[in-house]
This record gives sequence, structure tokens and C-alpha cells, in this order.
Amino acid sequence: MSFVVGLLLFVVLAGILDAKLPWPRAREQRRW
Amino acid sequence: MVAGHFGLAAGIKAREPAVPMWALMLATQWLDVVFVPLFAAKIETIEVIGGGKAGYGNGIIHADYTHSLVGALVLALVFALPAGWRWGRRAAVVLGAVVFSHWLIDLLVHHHDMPLLPGAPAGTPRFGFGLWRWPVAIAVAELALVLWGGLAYLRAAVGVARAHDPAKLRRARAAGATVIAAGLVTLGLNVAGF
Repeated sequence: MSFVVGLLLFVVLAGILDAKLPWPRAREQRRW
Repeated sequence: MVAGHFGLAAGIKAREPAVPMWALMLATQWLDVVFVPLFAAKIETIEVIGGGKAGYGNGIIHADYTHSLVGALVLALVFALPAGWRWGRRAAVVLGAVVFSHWLIDLLVHHHDMPLLPGAPAGTPRFGFGLWRWPVAIAVAELALVLWGGLAYLRAAVGVARAHDPAKLRRARAAGATVIAAGLVTLGLNVAGF
């Protein structure tokens, strides 16, 4: 259970919050 | 160990800000993510030491594919290749290293149950320094990783917001606080045996 909760909190919640911050972008090698 | 891996990944994000957070968090648990379907299929199993209820650090983990040395290297490559295609070589190297860091940290704590080769052929050795014999010490070490990574991430997030978009300072503090709180919740659940 701690594993699933951890994944949800870190990958989903922290991931969403973090994505709104003005971090430098990793280089995109190819265009879609 | 669950929370300690996340703590390390948060600390790496502070050093490698261009790598997406969600990818770092997924990478640090990638071996266990792949373990889940193999566990459901009974290909990989957990044996509780003493035969009682599963608890913090009291399992011998027969993860002979995902947690073998060669298996972990292959899984790191599987994760790094699409990351390199999407985000470039540096991100691929960082994410591959984070995937493999899971194996290195597990090597310290596991009970001599990690083989070199996938499937653990008969006669080949297993490794694991067994620090889970001292669960309180490992819980403290996990807590230290969570706090180190969470605080490093908070500092980096606030720094990048202050430098590029001060309107997002509040969001940066919220993200940092979330990472620290998530680590504490995850560690608490894990230590309590959930």
C-alpha cells in the first residue's frame, strides 16, 4: 500500500505541481 | 524501502532541473513497478521471515528478474532509451542512473536475495548486505533521504521561481512541501507495515 500511495503522491501529485514551475526544459530531439 | 528511493530522486531533481519530476519519480521505482505484474503472476514472490505478517524489512524478496544485477541494467536501458529520444542524452543518462540506483540501495538493505543473472540460475550467487536486520536504523536512513531530497527540491523550486517567475513562488513552496509530506506519509505507511 505504501508503494501505491507513494507512486500516486510523487509521480502524479508532485509531478503535476512541479510541471507548473519554470524549470529549464530538457532538449527535445525530435518534433512531433 | 519505498520512501528513500523517492527522496533520492527529489534530490536528483534539484541537481538536474531539466529532467521532468514525474519521470524521475517513476524511474526511481521502475524495478518495483515492473515487479508488480510479475508478483501478481507469481513469477516473483515475497517470503516473510518467520512466516508471520509481512512488515517493514522482514521479507526475503524473490525478485529474480527485476532485482537481478543484469535485469536491473536491462530495465534501466528500457527506461533510458525512450527518455533519450524524448528529452536528449543527458536526461537519458540521469534517468537510467536513477533506475539503477534502486538496485544499489536495495543491495544495502536486502537479505541476501538479489542474484546477478535474471532467473537466478542454480549455483549462481545472491547478494544483499542485509541492513534490514536493523529496521530502526534503516527507517532513520530513509527519513534522512526524504528530508535531504525534499529540502533540496524545495530550495531549488523556490530558487527557480524567484529567478524566472516570482508569481509562482507560492506554487514552488507548495510543491516542495508536498514532496516532503509525501515522503513522510509514504515512510510512515511503510514502517507501519502497510
